[in-house]
Amino acid sequence: MGMEIETRLSDQLARFLDLASSETKLTAANMANIDTPGYRTVGMDFETEMSEALSGLDQGQAAKPVRIQMTDGLIARPDGNNVSLDRESLNLAEAQLKFKTGVALLRQENQRILDAIHADK
Amino acid sequence: MNLFGLMDTSGQAMRAERMRAEVVAANMANAETTRTASGGPYQRQHVVFAANKGDSGFLNSLASASGGSGAGSTALPVGNFGSSGAAAPGVHIAEVVTDTAPPLKRYDPGHPDAGADGFVSYPDINPLTEMVDLMGATRAYGLNGSAVQAEKAMIVSALDIAKS
Repeated sequence: MGMEIETRLSDQLARFLDLASSETKLTAANMANIDTPGYRTVGMDFETEMSEALSGLDQGQAAKPVRIQMTDGLIARPDGNNVSLDRESLNLAEAQLKFKTGVALLRQENQRILDAIHADK
Repeated sequence: MNLFGLMDTSGQAMRAERMRAEVVAANMANAETTRTASGGPYQRQHVVFAANKGDSGFLNSLASASGGSGAGSTALPVGNFGSSGAAAPGVHIAEVVTDTAPPLKRYDPGHPDAGADGFVSYPDINPLTEMVDLMGATRAYGLNGSAVQAEKAMIVSALDIAKS
C-alpha cells in the first residue's frame, strides 16, 4: 500500500471544480450568443454529473466529458434565439460561488495535510 | 479544463458586439450620405452573428436534433465537451449584410446629387432603430464584460489553492 498525500476529498473537490468550470463555460457560451439568431440555450445537469463523477472516482475511472443538453422551457424570441439574460447572469453567479466554495474547501484540505506534515514542529 | 478558454468565449463575444456597435455608428454617421464610392446613397448595413461550433470532433450537430427553427438553427453542439483542445464555443460575425431597402426620396432640386426630377436619394436610416441596436450591443458587451470579470475571479481564486 503506497502512501498518498492527496486525500479522497481533494480528488472529489478537483472533479467538483472541473464541473463548476464546465458550467461556467456553458454559461459564457450562452452569453456570447445572446444575439445569434436561432441559437438555443445549452446547459448541463450538475447533480447527475457530480454523482457520476463521484462514483467514477471510487471505481478509479478517469474524468468523463460533460454531457451537454438543450435547456427546455425557455421562451424563444422571434429570431429563434432563447437565451435569457437574467437566467444566464444568475447561472454565472451560481457557478462562480460553487467554484469559490470548492477552492475554499480544497485550501482547507491542503492546509490539513500541511499541518500533518509539520506536526512535529 | 482550461479556465482561460472561458475568457476566449467571452472575448469573442465582446469583439463581435463592438463590431456591431461600429456598424451602427457607421450607419448613423452616414444617415445623410448621398454619395458613395459605388455610386448612389449610402446603404444601411447590419451584422449577422453565428455561433462557433468548436471542432468537428465534438460536433453532434444540433440542426437535426432541434428540428430547426426556420432558416438554419444554430446552437452549440449538444453532446460532450471534448477535453481534446476543442475550440472555444464562442460567437463570430458571419457577415455584414447591406440593407437593400430603397432610398428615401426628398425633393431638393438645388442639391448637387438631385436627379432630373429634382429628388435626392437619401439612405433609409431610422435613428430609432439604430439607437435600439446600439443599446442592445452595449448591454451585451457589458454582459460579456461581467462574464470576463467572473472568469478572472475564478482564475485568481484557483491560484489561491497553491498558497497556504
